[in-house]
Amino acid sequence: MKINPFTKTYKKTTVLSFPGITLKRGTIYTVIGANGSGKSTFARILSGTLTPDRKEAVFSSPPASAGYMPQKSFAFRMSVLNNVLLNGSRVSASERAKAAELLNSVGLTALAEHNGCQLSGGETARLALARLLMKPYELLILDEPTASLDIASTLQAEQLIRQYCKNENACIILITHNLKQAQRISDQILFFKSGSLADYGEPDSLLNCPQNPALREFVEFYSL
Amino acid sequence: MRTAFFKAIELLFSGNAQLLNIITVTLKMGLSSSVLALLIGTPLGILLGCYPFRSRQLLVIMNRTLMGLPPVVCGLICYMLFSGVGPLRHLKLLYTVKGMIIAQVILITPLIIGNLESFVSAISPQIRETAAGLGLSKGITILLIMNESRYQILSAYLFGLGRAFAEVGAISMVGGAIAYKTNVMTTAIMNYSNMGDFSLALALGIILFGISLCLNTIAAAIHWRLNQ
Repeated sequence: MKINPFTKTYKKTTVLSFPGITLKRGTIYTVIGANGSGKSTFARILSGTLTPDRKEAVFSSPPASAGYMPQKSFAFRMSVLNNVLLNGSRVSASERAKAAELLNSVGLTALAEHNGCQLSGGETARLALARLLMKPYELLILDEPTASLDIASTLQAEQLIRQYCKNENACIILITHNLKQAQRISDQILFFKSGSLADYGEPDSLLNCPQNPALREFVEFYSL
Repeated sequence: MRTAFFKAIELLFSGNAQLLNIITVTLKMGLSSSVLALLIGTPLGILLGCYPFRSRQLLVIMNRTLMGLPPVVCGLICYMLFSGVGPLRHLKLLYTVKGMIIAQVILITPLIIGNLESFVSAISPQIRETAAGLGLSKGITILLIMNESRYQILSAYLFGLGRAFAEVGAISMVGGAIAYKTNVMTTAIMNYSNMGDFSLALALGIILFGISLCLNTIAAAIHWRLNQ
């Protein structure tokens, strides 16, 4: 999967200028960077919910299927189970079993028959993740999926994402502020600074001895 | 006030033919016009709020202007259209309940559209983004938005129904408040007030209030039931 270079401009201000990159399947890419560095814009453009400046193809060889979990998770006004089944191909016994298994993986089995709109922020995020993982996607874009989760739920979600990446041989782009999470889960890290890709590489080399001054400053600040 | 209250109860149980006719016409006119306005206004309001499109803002401004249309102006336009020299005279709608319903639909539909448009435009970006992330089609996305808006649809309907029952300007011009034909609660209240029979006018007002209370209680029960 090759992402072409693109830019995104709002009111004459370029908020993102991406040089392009080739993504590999079965790999987890983590995007880190401060607020306003263009991470979510990047995720939204890749997911197709936002168009770049020049409306040309973002991918030169687009993925067969792409799933996207927005930063603000949303639970529809229906049961938690039906929320998950909404992303199933058809409601069959195997789909129901898969939905039940996913709900169990995110610790929502007890709430399966509750109305989605009655869930807390953390529960909604877990539901959104379970719902997205119902389908096999070639590319999965997750915009801060664990931002509202406690540490136990975060580890549970990471385990689930890693498992999905392996089982479906999917390419996963995960956006996070959590450096420890980036170190735990990533195969590759992309560091964004002021709307551009400032550095990228493997987590150990990139975060343990950062060469880029902006990244060094970012790592020092977030390690406080 | 006390006299009016007892008069209202006495009137209700007296089986007065004229009163029964007034109540029947009021219910027929109010329920028909509000249901028709709901059927027209719901899809338009949801579509207007669902997706941004060119000229959307213009349509929203036009609808908001229509929301403030004075009932007497609406009545006057309908009167001119349905009268003996109007372009729709062959439909013979002047001084009929059908004509009154049309005037009410013209008044209520923009209210329902505006009510739903403002609600849907606030919730739709997040739903659209979530649905697009899951790869759901536009049709399913619109159905999901409708599902999220169901309480608002009920609320918009009640708003329209309340307006239909309370309306007097347009329907008195189009209907003419003819006894046993087009006289409804509000026009009857106005007539009795003009004749100086304030206790009877107030009694009719209390009955109208009672009907509105019953319908709103039923709607609240439906709302509660849906929420379970």
